[in-house]
Amino acid sequence: MIRGIRESVHLVGLNRLSTTLPHVGKVVQRIREILLRLLSYKVTFTLIVFIILVLIFGSFTPRHVFMKSNNLGALAKLVPDLGIIAMGVGTLMICGEFDLSVGSIIPMSSFVFVKLLEWDVPLIFIPFATLFTGALLGFLNGLLVVRTRIPSFIATLGTMMFWRGILYASSRMMPIGTRAYLEPGTWLENTLIGSMGGVFPVQILWFLFLAFVLGLVVHFHRFGNWVFATGDNETAARAMGINTGMVKIVCFVIVGLLCSFMSMMQALRIESFAATQGIGFELKAIASSVVGGTSLMGGIGSILGIFLGTLTIQILENGLILMGAPVFGINVFIGLGIVLFAVLNLYIERVAIR
Amino acid sequence: MNGVKSESQISEKPFDQGNPDYLVQMLDIHKWFGKVYALRGVDFQVRENEILGLVGDNGAGKSTLIKILSGFHPADRGEIHFEGRRVSIHNPKDAKRLGIETVYQEQALAPHVSISRNIFMGREPTRALGFLDKKRMDAESLDTLSKIGLRLSDPEAVVEALSGGQRQGVAIARVLYFKAKLVILDEPTIALSVKESRQVMEFIKQLKAGGISVVFITHNIYHVHQIAERFVILAHGEKIGDIRKEDTSVDHLSEIITSERVS
Repeated sequence: MIRGIRESVHLVGLNRLSTTLPHVGKVVQRIREILLRLLSYKVTFTLIVFIILVLIFGSFTPRHVFMKSNNLGALAKLVPDLGIIAMGVGTLMICGEFDLSVGSIIPMSSFVFVKLLEWDVPLIFIPFATLFTGALLGFLNGLLVVRTRIPSFIATLGTMMFWRGILYASSRMMPIGTRAYLEPGTWLENTLIGSMGGVFPVQILWFLFLAFVLGLVVHFHRFGNWVFATGDNETAARAMGINTGMVKIVCFVIVGLLCSFMSMMQALRIESFAATQGIGFELKAIASSVVGGTSLMGGIGSILGIFLGTLTIQILENGLILMGAPVFGINVFIGLGIVLFAVLNLYIERVAIR
Repeated sequence: MNGVKSESQISEKPFDQGNPDYLVQMLDIHKWFGKVYALRGVDFQVRENEILGLVGDNGAGKSTLIKILSGFHPADRGEIHFEGRRVSIHNPKDAKRLGIETVYQEQALAPHVSISRNIFMGREPTRALGFLDKKRMDAESLDTLSKIGLRLSDPEAVVEALSGGQRQGVAIARVLYFKAKLVILDEPTIALSVKESRQVMEFIKQLKAGGISVVFITHNIYHVHQIAERFVILAHGEKIGDIRKEDTSVDHLSEIITSERVS
């Protein structure tokens, strides 16, 4: 790193300070070490941008609407949708693969979910069947990529269109409301989209919980080490006896599972299945991951980064709208933001290697 | 060429039940890649605690032979004995189980992953439920690195931040940790500076000092001559020479490789 950063830390003058005052030296040394460690994680930059955005929107939105509880409440319901998907997609990116089909896995799972409600299947089975749908679609993606060895970008582009076609044909694109089949206040609804104390949406708790679990797996479990190794140097990983095909398939299944989990939350929240549910999520999830410091080449990334990346993107969108940016032109700013972030990340990486 | 004779006498009885003097015996190995006849009945032996140089020009079959031994390709014909027992090696895991470890040039490490995670890649020590035992990984990484004379302070540093020689050190330390009996190094000095190459050769000496046999594959006769005790020369998929160090010189070796026969 770490030299570039070390130099900049020298510039700050910490180094000089530590030599002139030896008794302070140790403390300064320690602070410097911590600073270097922190800066060596790309997450730090995402965090800085996130905080800056919060400060900007907090102070400059009209009447500080951004910080008002109803806006934060809305964000707390929206952020988990993208965040849950992005964590799966980001993990898959660390593993060196992409999944463009999430925008079809989501409505497919949602369709299965709502259909099962319509058919009056015992409620206890429905979430499991829905999760199974997502896992199965993810598994098929993984199998396709691993067996044929075609780039996952193409393979999942194909499955995205394939499943979307199947879905449009079988649903005739008609929305199906859930209210006719599910009375309000069931345990399922309460666990997935209820609120704590009447205001705090449980979605955000699910998001935090899943981030925690996935974070443990990716950064502290043996499997996570295989994910990084596979994405960073597949040949080496295979030479060391890691079953890289299996690792990839499991990552695809994780994406599918998260998609179907989120599809249930979304369908319950909007009280309907919609065939267009999840459109655009594939790219937004990749964008969140990139903003969170995940490499497009695999091998680099973190769950915390993806978490913060999602928050940053959602807050950017939300804040800009609140500041009166034209709603239909909002993508201009988000697009710019993503590119700037990617450039920044690349720049940081280059400085770091030097 | 006494050395040559005695080696070929042993290899002339291809179907014996394995000679216990050898750690590895590969007998009458044949390999086709489609229409390409890559190995044409090669006999190849490595003794216990020996540094062996495997040399030859591009396309001679060095890599193919080694890939068969390390489980990446199956041989189309021939047999392999390890420690006097006939073995079958179908995949890299089989080879590792026997104690055969291969270090490939530039392919061995994941550059953005930490040193300790690289050393334990695929064989991580874990606590309950498969969670990594990071303390143990870090401590044992540094310990193993110091065994081959490489002193590093931060096991969490990413491999990319290391010099080329240090990277080879990490790759070699990894095989040392897993109690390898035979370490195969594929062009370990190819992209390194003079100083880094010397460092890598020190690592190899440390391996031998630890009782491990080493096969050193290279184009660089100067490097391999400094360190190997015996040389096997391949050309066009055949073994054309098997010479002890006492019986040859750098010039003689390069003469054999370029003329493709033992003069």
